[in-house]
Amino acid sequence: MRAVNKFVPSVLALTLLVAGVTARGADYPLMSRAAPDFALRAFAGDNVRLSEHRGEVVVLVFWSSRCHTCGAQLEALNRSYATYHSAGLQMYGISVDDDERHASDFVASYRVGFQMLDDPQKEVGRLYQVDRLPMVVMIDRSGIVRAAREDFDSASRVPYLRELKRLLDQ
Amino acid sequence: MRHARAFLVLIAMLAAAGPAAARHDPQKLPATRIRDLHYGDVLFYYFQGPDQDLEALTRLGAYEHWDRMPHHELDAQLLAGGLYLSLGLHNEAGARFAKLLTPNIPVGVRNRAWYYLAQVWYARGYLDKAEQALERVQGVLPVELEAEREQMSSNILIREGHYDAAVHLLEGLRGPPDWRAYARLNLGIALVREHRVADADPYLTAVGTLRSANPELVALRDRANLALGYAYLQANDPAKALTGLERVRLDGPYSDKALLGVGWAEASLGNYRSALVPWLALRQRSLADSAVQESYLAVPYAYGKLSANGQATESYESALSSYAAENQAIRRAIERIESGRMIDTLLANDEKGEQGWFWQLENLPKAPESRYLYAVFAGHDFQEGLKNYRDLGYMDRGLARWAQSMDAFANMIDTRERAYAERLPRVDALLHSGITDRMQKRRDALAARLDAIERQHDVAALGSPDERAHWAQIRRMESTLAALPPDATTAAMRERLRLVKGVLYFEMDEAFRARVWEQRRTIKDLDLALNEAQERWIRVERARNSVPTNTGDFAKRVEALRERITDLRTRLAANRLAQRQYLARIAVSTLAAERDRLAAYEVQARFELASMYDRAADQADNAPARPSGAAAPPSPAPAAGGAAQPEPHP
Amino acid sequence: MPFQHTQSRSPRGPRRLASAALVVVAALLTQSGTVRAQAPANPATPTPPTAAAATAQAPTSAPAPAAPGGAAENAPSAADTRALDEQTQDLKKQVVDLNRDLFVLEEELLYPANTQVAVFVSMDVGTFFALDSVELKIDQKEVANYLYTPREVEALMKGGVQRLYVGNLKVGSHELVAFFTGKGPNDRDYKRGASIRFDKGIGAKYLELKINDRQRRLQPEFEIKDWE
Repeated sequence: MRAVNKFVPSVLALTLLVAGVTARGADYPLMSRAAPDFALRAFAGDNVRLSEHRGEVVVLVFWSSRCHTCGAQLEALNRSYATYHSAGLQMYGISVDDDERHASDFVASYRVGFQMLDDPQKEVGRLYQVDRLPMVVMIDRSGIVRAAREDFDSASRVPYLRELKRLLDQ
Repeated sequence: MRHARAFLVLIAMLAAAGPAAARHDPQKLPATRIRDLHYGDVLFYYFQGPDQDLEALTRLGAYEHWDRMPHHELDAQLLAGGLYLSLGLHNEAGARFAKLLTPNIPVGVRNRAWYYLAQVWYARGYLDKAEQALERVQGVLPVELEAEREQMSSNILIREGHYDAAVHLLEGLRGPPDWRAYARLNLGIALVREHRVADADPYLTAVGTLRSANPELVALRDRANLALGYAYLQANDPAKALTGLERVRLDGPYSDKALLGVGWAEASLGNYRSALVPWLALRQRSLADSAVQESYLAVPYAYGKLSANGQATESYESALSSYAAENQAIRRAIERIESGRMIDTLLANDEKGEQGWFWQLENLPKAPESRYLYAVFAGHDFQEGLKNYRDLGYMDRGLARWAQSMDAFANMIDTRERAYAERLPRVDALLHSGITDRMQKRRDALAARLDAIERQHDVAALGSPDERAHWAQIRRMESTLAALPPDATTAAMRERLRLVKGVLYFEMDEAFRARVWEQRRTIKDLDLALNEAQERWIRVERARNSVPTNTGDFAKRVEALRERITDLRTRLAANRLAQRQYLARIAVSTLAAERDRLAAYEVQARFELASMYDRAADQADNAPARPSGAAAPPSPAPAAGGAAQPEPHP
Repeated sequence: MPFQHTQSRSPRGPRRLASAALVVVAALLTQSGTVRAQAPANPATPTPPTAAAATAQAPTSAPAPAAPGGAAENAPSAADTRALDEQTQDLKKQVVDLNRDLFVLEEELLYPANTQVAVFVSMDVGTFFALDSVELKIDQKEVANYLYTPREVEALMKGGVQRLYVGNLKVGSHELVAFFTGKGPNDRDYKRGASIRFDKGIGAKYLELKINDRQRRLQPEFEIKDWE
């Protein structure tokens, strides 16, 4: 629907969805492309639309309650959020959980400063071609995808921070 | 921008309101209701904020093209003007306003439009246009804008060098005290530049002795005192200079320069020990500040004056190494900017190569050399250039997405064309076959025949095949018998025939009503079927007629637009490169000025040091003469200060 | 015929904005707001006059440093700035025009006038209503499911009318069913629905989903208007 997806013409969105079957790893298909727009409900607070945050650096973290390391990773990311939020960092945790209740429980048990969004139909998960969790996608101030890390873990933190600072400097 | 945006100008449908508009508050347009849905859609985007301005303007243009906002013609045009202004297209906005802002529109609205236009032009340095726009403001603006307007007018006068006119304007300034402070400061500075210190004094002192808790005004106060102090230093009146300088806050943004100035004032009065106090304090601070740089020379100068040659020498040496180190850093920074530029040109996508020079002011400086650039980055030209760079980047990405859509459209059109090419001939053949007409005629003929049968009570016509066969047989026998002479045999035969005919007729007659009814029903069914067929026919015809004869047209349009996209993207890329180079030039020239200033200081330090060694050597030869280690006072690199030449802000 | 889109009752709160249907103009500056708020590029000092002070006492020679011609080394001039600005403006204008032409093409191609149907959403409520989502079904098929952010809700409250959906329909009778959800005062959850049967003839069909609390205060309802 054009009205729903005004950030990217629907034709293009379809193309992106269809192009999903590609190599993973460093060859993230959305790299250097415009981050697909979406709107999701938050577990607490207002609905969020990605395109309203152009001008900020946006980090998306995809998680589910069944992913064992997700909680720790979210907490680690939360630290960078606290530090850099005032410099223009916006962060969203996106639940691609199958089970609403587990997702809510998860949100309750891992308190983070950023909003947690609910993607029950996994539409956004598909848009961003999320295969493995946790997955972190970094979007620059112009709305372009600049980095994506699957299986985000403690080893990823240093390059993540470096990339983050670079994006914030722009 | 948001501030100005907050002063929403209300527009009315003046076309509908007519003379009533004149009776309304001239500051506003009469409130309106939205009578065209599509105009409401434009507003939906406009109301969301400046990042949706382009979307709003795009839709406005499209809906205008399709004439979907007939009740809001004027509104739409005014809104378009405002949106153009917001997107930085001030020439376009100016042209539109000039056409639209006729006396029909309440004066308050016109004034505001011209005022905002003037503000943009002023900010971009189009002083003449700003002046012209301001001239179109009739009467008085609302209080808060009026003060700004006077401010702008006086600034324009100052920038153009018409100081006396500015003074005159300033005297008549009606705005709130805050505004007067700005105006006075600007005037004071301008007069100082004209070496009219005595004239400047009252203005600068007035601002310099302001009492306020407002941080903005406190900053202004510092500036005024600093300007006053330095004006008197220049005029060789150190006592008066001190009065002003001592009012500058020690923890404010101007304290470095104030400290330097105090030192010089004291030095001018011969109080070198007193001069050392602020200078030594300065020396502890960051070398990025030019006052601090100068203090590195001023301190040994004072030591020299106090005959503390050992300390003087030491200080010169330490100054040298500090200058050298700082200069190194600057050179590296310049290199990085310049080579970054070269890399950028090579790369297709500049974003990959960006060195992060473009930062938000709220951030703390991360790279050491960026300390110098802080002032540059805050500068108006740089910010405008940066905004343009980003705007054009955003627009370019939008066009890139459209380019991909063009491919999809082209495919679609192609598929459509082929589908039509395949099916249309058959459809056309069918439509031209006249088949429904024929069917209708046949139906009519049937109905007419049935009517006749009914009228004539032609029971035989509706007989079953057997009945008709028999009937026919009977008629044949009748005619045969009629030919025979009447006799007893024939009479009997005629009688039998009459009976048989009678029976058959009776049977057919009995069935006639029902059969007629049956036939009518059949015709009704036929009618229904025909109707349906006709309706479908009409739909097919309609669809056929609405087949874009313009599929060819669409294809052409897509091609033409594709070309425009490609062409425009090329030019956008070129312009963005120019913007980057422009920004880099601003940065590099600032750094170069710093480098040169430091180099000059370095030279001077070396010279003084050499002199001191010479003199020391001399003394060693002519023992124990007192070393007259009066070194030269450091002279700044004047041109370097020129690069930091202050603007009569705001 | 002129359709009274908004209230003419006495305005209160957000309704004032909506009812006044503030149609705003003279959108403003890209410039940093008021002149007074502009950060100074440099302190307003004339060149430190230490050179003057120097001449007052230099007993030994004070070699003035060679004036570095590079003070304004390669700095862009006012003419440079203006030329670049003019070029940028020109390009931006072309982009604006091109965007418009592209928008027009896309819609004429995908949603030609004779089959086009468009559904709009407007809000006219007395107190703030946090609209959360709107769902649309045409002929039993879901065609739109839109989540609203606070920024968009505010735009609706100010009088904006969102074109939620645009599509194609054949001539004939169709059914539109719409639901909206949101939070009213006291954080109460609202879900309301409405439906309408309409005839699609030749030519574009526009429908408006009007959220208002005309009937009962603080209880937003749906009304669907068919713009014949």
